[in-house]
Parts: sequence; structure tokens; C-alpha cells
Amino acid sequence: MPGETHNGMQCNEFETLLFDALDQKLSEGQQERFRAHARVCGKCGPMFAEVEAGQHWLKSLAEVESPANLVNEILAATTGIQSYRLQAPAAAEHRASLGERIREWADSLFAPVWGTVRQPRFAMSFGMAFFSLSVALSVAGVKPTDIKSADLSRSGLRRTYYTTTARMVKYYENIRLVYEIESKVQEIKKVTRPDERKQEKERERNHKNNTSGDPEPRQERNYSRDENQPVLASGPQNPLAVSVITTRRDV
Amino acid sequence: MEDAQIVNSLVRRCIAGDAVAWEEIVQRYNRRIYNICYRFAGSADDAQDLTQEVFIKMYRTLSSYDVERGAFMTWLTTMTRNLLVDHFRKTKQDRVTDSMDAAPSEHEDAMPLSEQIEDKRLPPDARVQSRETGEVVHEALQKLSPELREAVILRDLQDMDYRDIAAVLKVPEGTVKSRINRGRAELARLLQRIYRQVM
Repeated sequence: MPGETHNGMQCNEFETLLFDALDQKLSEGQQERFRAHARVCGKCGPMFAEVEAGQHWLKSLAEVESPANLVNEILAATTGIQSYRLQAPAAAEHRASLGERIREWADSLFAPVWGTVRQPRFAMSFGMAFFSLSVALSVAGVKPTDIKSADLSRSGLRRTYYTTTARMVKYYENIRLVYEIESKVQEIKKVTRPDERKQEKERERNHKNNTSGDPEPRQERNYSRDENQPVLASGPQNPLAVSVITTRRDV
Repeated sequence: MEDAQIVNSLVRRCIAGDAVAWEEIVQRYNRRIYNICYRFAGSADDAQDLTQEVFIKMYRTLSSYDVERGAFMTWLTTMTRNLLVDHFRKTKQDRVTDSMDAAPSEHEDAMPLSEQIEDKRLPPDARVQSRETGEVVHEALQKLSPELREAVILRDLQDMDYRDIAAVLKVPEGTVKSRINRGRAELARLLQRIYRQVM
């Protein structure tokens, strides 16, 4: 009952002081009178006990940790960037050094690129490019372990360039020489065997003119015999074996 | 520099497009907002989604924050509370706190809250042993009506003063105190019933 008085305090005064009592803001004298009223008042006492207990239960609830990925998810959803990861929680107070500012600037510049690069399809492409490069280097005879710091100097790089160029030119010259020799040999062969060449041309012409659809006549050469194998010619008058060396036919 | 000045400086930098300042704001307030959402919504997954939503909305409307009109924390809490209320309306998780002592009816929410909160799978003593007290209190908190719940969360879990709570909830300070009183008393009665059952 609001108007009821217990221990010199009315119920409406008790209700007014209730929040100050729960927040520990009453003076010692007020606290004494407040508690005394709660002890004797059949309405205010239980009400105060319940409210105090409820407050106690609520205060017992500990603060929960937010999920570890929450900040990154928020940043990704808002700015599209994962995190600049500030080290100091009070960065506004912290005066960043030149190095830190450069790093932050570089991070802001490269973070989106890095985010893209980390996507699986790009990672796969880069992997393949790296594989191709390593194969090309190994074919060219370049070993990364052989590279010394001296090789990366200006004079070292120049030397490597000239050595590689000289090697390439030499390789090309060698190849050219081989082809020249081969073509010379072919020409000599043509000059020394003009009859065979004619026969061959004739055979080719016949083959082109053959439109009957019949299969070509089988060649009667005995391929089972070695070309330099001796041929035994036997006759009734001359039973002696005569060895004849077959000459190689150039095709 | 005072906290309010630091925050205002961060907000200004952020409005100017400083992404580092925005991350600092997220780092500063994510835990607090997550806790409000978790205690109000009840589940960690919902709290995570709602916290993200709060920050996305904040990012879009940060330029509308007026330093002269009030503290940044009050502005942010108001935004959080509005989103929570919207979420609550969408999910239709209406609970009637005052029905705790009401007679049972066909409506599920009309049954006594102490029965609603009961874990039917375990006997009461095993339930108390297996669960942390905090979980029981957290579960009981979900049974309060949203008006009472938000009031006690802001006061007893977030330590906001009555004036700021009144600004966030857009109700007079007296109403705030009344809701806090009722919320605490309801919670205590609910927990007393639960513990009386298991004793």
C-alpha cells in the first residue's frame, strides 16, 4: 500500500529510493531506513527481494566473446577488404611512424590484389605459370641453386647475357653446318646416281597414272636377307660357292 | 584525448573514406553489439548475422550521425535495438512475460514460463548439473517480453544509464525504470520456480 508507513518510511518513498538502493547510491542512513522498511512491509519486502535477485542473476551473466571471424566478415561485407589488422586498439591515439604509414598504404594498395590472387582459379593459373617457367629454365640448363649473388650484379648480368648469346649463336652455327653438310651429301648422291634417279621418277609417274584401283605389284625384294649377306650361286659345272656382295640401294 | 573525442575523430575519418578508421570502429564495438544481439536474440548464429547487419547499416548511414545530438554509443545502440525489434517482428517470437502466473490455455506461450523453459529430455537434477548457471539464466531471459528484455539487457548487461536507455527506447525514464523493475522481478520468479523444481 503506497501510503503505508513502516520504520518512518512510506511505501511510495521506498519505491522512489528503490533504484538508488539497487545501484548502491543511498547514504548509510537512507540505506538503513530502506532495509528496515523492506523487512517489515509485506508488499515492499518481497518485491525488493525479487528485483534484487533478478539483478543479481543478470549481473552474473558474463560477457560472451564475439566469433573470431566476425570482424573480417563485417569488413568484407562493408569495404570488401578483409582486414588492415590494426595492431593498437587505440589507433587514434597512436601516432604512426613513417614506416608504419608506408606499410598501411602498401597494405591498402595490395590487399584487394592479394584477395583476388588467393582465389583458387588464379592460384591454379599462377601454379601452372610457375611450373612452365621452371620447366623452361631446366631445359635451358639454368639452375636456381647455381645462381650466386655475384651473378645478380650488373657486370654479372652482363656477362651472363653475353655468354648466353654466344652459346645461342654457336648452337645456331652448328645446326646450320650440319644441314649444309647434309644437303651437300644429297647433291653428291644425285650426281653420282643419275640412272637410279630417272627410274625412280618413272616409277612415281606410273604410280600416279595408275587409276585402275588394282593393288600395286609386290616388290620381290628379299627383306629377310641382310644386304651384305653372301649369295650362294650354284651350278652343275661349277659347284664351288661364289660369294657375291650386293650393293646397297639408295631409295 | 577523451573517449568521445577519439570516437568522433574516428567517425570523421571514416566519413572521409578512411578504411583504417572504419576497421577501428568495428574492432571497438563489435563485441558490445554482438553481446546485445546475443542476449536479445538468444542464439549465437542469429547474433552474428544481426551484428553484421548492424555494422552494414552503420557503414551506410554513418554520415547521418550528428555529434551534437548525442553520444555515438547511444546512436549505435539505438540502431541495434531497432534492428533487433525488426528481427523480432519478422521471426514472430512473441513471448508474453505476464503469462507466467496465468492459467494454462491452448496457446503455447500462455503456459507458465517455468514449464516453458523446462528441458524435457533430462530430469531436473541432471539438467542443473549438466548446464551452466549462465545458460539457464540466458534461457530464462529469452522468456521475457521484448520490452522487458531490452530494458534489463541495456541496464544490467551493458551498464547504460537510465537517460541513455530512455533515449534508445524512446520512452520516458520512469517507463524505463518500471520495465527494468518488472524484468528483474520476472526473471527472478522464473528462476526461483526452476530451482524450486529441481531441489
